[in-house]
Amino acid sequence: MSKQKLSRRDFLKVGGAAGAALASATPLGNLARVAAQSDQTINVLTVGDPWNLALQNVTDQFTEATGITVNIETLGYEALQARLINSFLTKSADADVIAVDQMWISQMADNGWIRSLDDFISMDSDAHFDDFLPECLYSLSTWRNKVWTLPIASYAQGVMYRTDLFEAAGLDPLPASVADAGDWTWEDYFGILEQINGMDLDGTSMYGTTVIGYQPVPVVHMYTGLSASYGTRWFTQFPEAPWDFTPTINSDANVAALHDWKRLYELSPPESINYLWFDAGTRYSQGDIGMFYHWTPYFYLINNEGYLTGTPSPVVDKTATAVLPTRGAGGDQVISLGGWSLGMPSTAANQEASWQFIKWATGSEAQKAMGEVNVKGHQFADFSRQSNYDDAGLKEIYPFLDTQLEMMKLGDGKVVRPPAPIYTSLEGVYGLQINQAMTGTVSPEQALETTQILFQNILSGNQMIPYLVESFDDTLENTKALQASLSGM
Amino acid sequence: MPSRYTFQRRLPWLLLAPSVIVLLALILYPLGFALRNSFWFWNLQTSPVPLYHSGFDNYRMVFQVTPFAEALKNTLLLAGIGTFAQFWFGMGIALLLHTHLRGMGLMRALLIMPTTLAPVVAGFLFRYLLEPKGGLLPWLLEGVGFPVPPQGFLGNAGTALFSIGLVDTWQWTPFFAIVLYAGLLSISEEVLEAALVDGASAWRLFWSIALPLLRPIAAFLVMIRFMQLFNSFDLVYVLTSGGPGTASRTLSFNLYREGLVNYNIGLTAAMTWLVVIIVSVIINLYLFFIYRKREW
Repeated sequence: MSKQKLSRRDFLKVGGAAGAALASATPLGNLARVAAQSDQTINVLTVGDPWNLALQNVTDQFTEATGITVNIETLGYEALQARLINSFLTKSADADVIAVDQMWISQMADNGWIRSLDDFISMDSDAHFDDFLPECLYSLSTWRNKVWTLPIASYAQGVMYRTDLFEAAGLDPLPASVADAGDWTWEDYFGILEQINGMDLDGTSMYGTTVIGYQPVPVVHMYTGLSASYGTRWFTQFPEAPWDFTPTINSDANVAALHDWKRLYELSPPESINYLWFDAGTRYSQGDIGMFYHWTPYFYLINNEGYLTGTPSPVVDKTATAVLPTRGAGGDQVISLGGWSLGMPSTAANQEASWQFIKWATGSEAQKAMGEVNVKGHQFADFSRQSNYDDAGLKEIYPFLDTQLEMMKLGDGKVVRPPAPIYTSLEGVYGLQINQAMTGTVSPEQALETTQILFQNILSGNQMIPYLVESFDDTLENTKALQASLSGM
Repeated sequence: MPSRYTFQRRLPWLLLAPSVIVLLALILYPLGFALRNSFWFWNLQTSPVPLYHSGFDNYRMVFQVTPFAEALKNTLLLAGIGTFAQFWFGMGIALLLHTHLRGMGLMRALLIMPTTLAPVVAGFLFRYLLEPKGGLLPWLLEGVGFPVPPQGFLGNAGTALFSIGLVDTWQWTPFFAIVLYAGLLSISEEVLEAALVDGASAWRLFWSIALPLLRPIAAFLVMIRFMQLFNSFDLVYVLTSGGPGTASRTLSFNLYREGLVNYNIGLTAAMTWLVVIIVSVIINLYLFFIYRKREW
């Protein structure tokens, strides 16, 4: 929680006559205008992801610049979702700025629970909206050709592996860029895992990899990274118009992916069926995992022995990152792109101050400051802006940024985990069936056949088959056009 | 104007009326509200208000899109076996306490401690104790040659539900023990001595005298714990999240998923009513058999 602020008296002393000039000139004019409304407080409701730690460490800078006090309240994922929905339904002004998971955008936007940010963006050149990676905006922030939030932490997926183990096994380093990854396939990936699984490294018996098996949300997050790369699509047609939500989840591509997911589990510690996101990262950090793929924040989180412990991991200088493989050599790649963005509830009492905070926190300078925070190690490299990826100082702290950027540019959050209005229900049954297949209770074919039937029932029961509401051609190209339009280009 | 006699006859009803009205409102209104919602399509993911009357669709969907049958089976297993185990372990401890052996005073004080823990705390505690890599319990069990599943007790479909029951039993057996011990203390010494004079063995003393005299309190305890276990949520949520697969899914966890994760209010209301009906049938059958020869 940040409580520091400039008092009106101090601000007037320092600003004096310069204030009038500042007020007339954007972008600083906006800050001055907001500062003139000092004694304002905004409440920010966020989630306990690592980016939140970095944000809290730099929020004082916002308060110093604007005089706006920021109260940050942090909740767990499900608690945040429940709190937000309760406040929306009761139309209570619970917070001025909220953290929004990409999967909630459609629901919140369609129900009018959050405000579109289009007007704020188009009237504020200080937002540098054109600097955002369009893939991040597309996956995290847009719905029906409007911008509803701005990304504060974007995650793609990539590979982490033990360089010392690869050396001991006589394996070549993996490709760190797409240009070098022409023949880097999942079959190669499995071949390496089979070779290193059970190897002895300095007295430690190594597992080939680790999966995240906890159902439903964690397992879906990791599994869909593999299945999308295999070509799996959830629906007959989405996000391209016209939307047809007839499920295609039992496709041959997905059956092949689930078979291979079981192979991955067989090369993992058996207890990883109960692993959450950070359990897998922590297990790798502890030194008996050879290679795994995960969300990109784990590129830096594995530097700690445990989740945000601050104790250096024994693998910290023995890890390299690589791009995700494709199913066939040189084949098309789709990477999962997820993360968090900041939005403004329709009930927000201080809309101008809320916008100033959203713009600031998602801005290039604040993001860089978050990346430079060194509390229990550097804990933020989840940038959504090109300028941050180009920053030499940040690249020095996070040497994997080029690989991460390439993964971001192949990212498509709307295909890998489609933000359909009842996504949460679909994810619930999907995660359960993947987990069932991992236990061996059902075969991959049976699991996906059941998922297909359940998807059909849920989607029909929720009036989404046939889809009678107007569709939108929700493509990356349309997001790029929207971005250009709102940037005044 | 009513006569003094009529007024006096009605006075108890009048005095009770406010409480009865409040109680009925608190019970009937939510149930009525849930019943109404169970016949409407209302999913907060798609609309903040009920959209249309859907007949029995929500009831059909309970069986089609949620693992209701698995959850019911697990819930009955957990509640039935858990209550049975806790009752008999508790009875054994109560009998031990009743022997007035040295140190039983301290035991009584220590015994109640697990019951005072919040189930979430107990869940986290046992999550660490059961951790397959470095957890105390697997380490101890492996030390004495007991087979530990490679996925851990919480990650194995055959042991996940049993582990939840174990933690619940650890936490709630002392409650049975303390209450049953209080019941044993209330049995008249003269009755026990008379039986001993008549030559009753310790076994006979327990089965034919102590247990029947404990029956009212035991029946009530069993009913309360059965209902609590039937509604188990905290431990399931913390320990296994219903997994692996549906191996430890309970009805309450299903309700949580549909109501507070999927926000399907209509479906959750229908499931709530099914659970209410099932619990009512079980409890009323239980009461019928336990109290059929008594007025209560």
